[in-house]
Amino acid sequence: MDVLQQLLGRLHPLVVHLPIGFIMMGLLLQWYDRKQGQYAQIIAFVYLWAGITATLACITGYLQYMGEGYSFETVERHLWSGIATAVFSFLMYGKLKAAFLSKVPMALSSFFVLALISFTGHQGGNITHGEDYLVEPLPNSIKSALGYDTFEEKQISLTEGNWQSALLYEDVIMPILNNKCVSCHNPKKNKGDLLLHSQEGILKGGESGQVVIAHDASKSEIFSRMTLPMDDDDHMPPEGKTQPTKEEIQLIEAWIAAGHPFEGTVGEIGLKKELFIPFFPKKHDTDHPDIEITAASQDSIKAIKETGIYVDPISATTNFLSVSCINQPNFVDTDLGLLLPIKNQISRLDLGGTQVTDAIVEQLRSLPNLTVLKLDHTKITGKNIGALKDLRHLRTINLTGSDFQADIQVFSDFKNLKKVFLYKTKTNFNGVRSLKGGEISIDFGNYELPPIPSDSIVY
Amino acid sequence: MKHHSDIVNRLLREKLERETQARTRRHFIKSCAQGMGGLALSSIFMGCDPLGKPKVRTANGLTERDLNPLSTLPPHYSPKVKSVIYLHMAGAPSQLEMFDYKPQLHKYDGQDCPQSLLEGKKFAFIKGTPKLMGPQAEFKQEGESGNWVSNFLPHFKKVVDEVAFLKAVHTDQFNHGPAQLFMHTGSPRLGRPSIGSWATYGLGSENQNLPGFVVLTSGGNTPDAGKSVWGSGFLPSVYQGVQCRSKGDPVLYIEDPDGMSRNLKKRTIDAINKINKEEYAKYADPEILARINQYEMAYRMQIAVPEVMNINNEPEHIKQMYGVEPGKESFANNCLLARKLVEDGVRFVQLFDWGWDTHGNVREGSIDMGLRNKCREIDRPITALILDLKQRGLLEDTLIVWGGEFGRTPMQENRGNKEMAYKGRDHHGDAFTMWMAGGGIKKGASHGQTDDIGFSGVDGRVSVHDVHATILHLLGFDHEKFTYEFQGRPFRLTDVEGEIIKEILA
Repeated sequence: MDVLQQLLGRLHPLVVHLPIGFIMMGLLLQWYDRKQGQYAQIIAFVYLWAGITATLACITGYLQYMGEGYSFETVERHLWSGIATAVFSFLMYGKLKAAFLSKVPMALSSFFVLALISFTGHQGGNITHGEDYLVEPLPNSIKSALGYDTFEEKQISLTEGNWQSALLYEDVIMPILNNKCVSCHNPKKNKGDLLLHSQEGILKGGESGQVVIAHDASKSEIFSRMTLPMDDDDHMPPEGKTQPTKEEIQLIEAWIAAGHPFEGTVGEIGLKKELFIPFFPKKHDTDHPDIEITAASQDSIKAIKETGIYVDPISATTNFLSVSCINQPNFVDTDLGLLLPIKNQISRLDLGGTQVTDAIVEQLRSLPNLTVLKLDHTKITGKNIGALKDLRHLRTINLTGSDFQADIQVFSDFKNLKKVFLYKTKTNFNGVRSLKGGEISIDFGNYELPPIPSDSIVY
Repeated sequence: MKHHSDIVNRLLREKLERETQARTRRHFIKSCAQGMGGLALSSIFMGCDPLGKPKVRTANGLTERDLNPLSTLPPHYSPKVKSVIYLHMAGAPSQLEMFDYKPQLHKYDGQDCPQSLLEGKKFAFIKGTPKLMGPQAEFKQEGESGNWVSNFLPHFKKVVDEVAFLKAVHTDQFNHGPAQLFMHTGSPRLGRPSIGSWATYGLGSENQNLPGFVVLTSGGNTPDAGKSVWGSGFLPSVYQGVQCRSKGDPVLYIEDPDGMSRNLKKRTIDAINKINKEEYAKYADPEILARINQYEMAYRMQIAVPEVMNINNEPEHIKQMYGVEPGKESFANNCLLARKLVEDGVRFVQLFDWGWDTHGNVREGSIDMGLRNKCREIDRPITALILDLKQRGLLEDTLIVWGGEFGRTPMQENRGNKEMAYKGRDHHGDAFTMWMAGGGIKKGASHGQTDDIGFSGVDGRVSVHDVHATILHLLGFDHEKFTYEFQGRPFRLTDVEGEIIKEILA
């Protein structure tokens, strides 16, 4: 019997379309027949069947409610409006057939039936697809105008300087819960009767009781469920949802271990710094200076690209450009003029294997943000390379395979230089591997792997 | 004069008439349909952009990507590396004889494996109760980092401080084909793009004369999973790996056939491209432009590829350092080629070396002999590759990834519940070692730990998805945002998983 009940219940989403179809048919016929009034019989017949099928829908709907374990609150409105739809379909039938309730204008009752079927259908859709199904694709501005909560990601912003004075709950824990949990555990969509958007909700717990137990993270479900294996049904957040990172889970653990305080700074509560380091902004060791710069004009970039020079944005977060002459082995000193329209944006310049000579060095000074410079396999001798010392962002110079033969001490005057590559140049390795007390590393290469006996042993 | 213009006019008229005659109703309907379809399609395609940034369109409404699919999408954040060299030991190397030193396993050598380890586990060949087998190599802590390296890799210990180990990688596949697919496409089933395809799709290629994604194989065989491990899946096929050979023609049919001069080839391609351009003017289908580009790239490749694939021009000391054998197909040759390709701006170089499946059923597949030979074949080349990239200043722009598709069991294989002819280990996905070196990698790091016998990870377990997330991260892509729309939903290399392994990042 249970099987039959469940099966019939599951037919509800199918059956509901019958009364919808009949009612729409009835309404359309009424509109079509508004002048002549010849089809009252037929329209009555349509509403009779609307009523019958609506009753069927009510029955199957009730079976589904019983069989699928929905809570009554979830289905309440849909249930009552569904019953009302069935009743009103029969009333329409009676009104047409037997002049029942003839005082109520026909247009008004038709309109009411239309409203009723729309409302019922919408409520049903909300149950199967979720309440924000229709609203979800709308932009945030319209959503909030309609009175829906918009989900906003909150950032944890900690630095070396302020991590101790940050409020543990408000600045650290709350953003984690907000970004990873609150989209399901909020007043609108309180899955498992649990609210995680507020202190009260967290303390109150959910269906299965308390979620935080002070000083005992492993017994606190808010933490322990995050650590369950992904394929465990109790794992939270559920599979497919954005998961908290290891570092975030560790913070939740530490917070509970400290008695889940809602007040107080990290310093006062006395948590270890290691927990917070992953949230500090990363020190950038990138191929561009850590500054903001205006974007180069698209026309300039296009013009340069048309000459065959490769221009490439370093990333979507910066306007600095990487320029490479890998496809232009005939690039000569005077061609650098082509790059002047984007001179402020060039941070990485690859002139390797081109025809450039020492004369280019003077011109390179006009690229103030140059960070990585590749002059490998060129005729650069380095006699005037010292002119680049004013480029305060210059970090790497690659002179591999060039004619470089200058004194390497010249690099000591460079402000931010970290690496110089001098393999296969005309300077010989003189035992110096670094300058400025290790700040600048000089790589002469020539690494060797001398033969060893085992090279030729075949087992 | 009048006579001449008459002839010209007549000819022109005739041409027009011929054209109208040839144009049947069928043609008309066909071109209508294609035109409309093309319009609709092109607007759909141009609407999508995986990085969610508005595209800069050229005058004809096409983006630069349409004209040149190998131009760059700006990465999400500043990349640490520009190129990747992925060294895959096909067949799965034994971590227990190379990097994961388990002294305790010596003690248990020859003892029955505890039932608790076998329950619920699937093995490819092991039957019944196998015996544990101690490490067949000697280990020492090497370099300043003090990371363990076995005596099977006497050269590698010199660069041990350059690499970061992942000691507890795990996979859920235990057969070569699916495991290789998983390792390279993020899914054990066919149809997903490989990491190299994702990388070229994102970053394009700097060198307009070379493919962005090159694959080299050695060891006498290609990977079990076939070419899908470097396939482009649902990404446009222009992003798939180009397999080059280190023996014979680097790319099949790259040489012009007898009687076809380069000049004639150029004229042929020009003619085809002219027709294609007319076709494009009619239908505005960006695929036609991609086609034109492919023809031109292929023509340029005819010169550039044999040049870059020729290792004979390298100085003798470099050849010796790698231990190359010109004219043969060898892993050493491929390592040297990998350096040359990266030097020339190739984005992703994938090396597959076959022959690591050491079950102990044959001599070449034995842990104490066959494996040792394989180790010798890669030891010098890999060490040379790291040093050579380093001295050229390329290591800081390149990521090297080493690994297999899974690891091997601490138990000796007992295929058919019998003692095997040689010492061997079965497939094992619970814990195995991989390493990375190069830009953005914390030198000398070692992340993850396995239990006393190297059966499972006990700390710092990382999944294949985590490895992928980390590779994409180093290339500048947020693996959660780097997506491609296919069949109505955005796809990621890491599916819905993957976490960046911060412990090995500098």
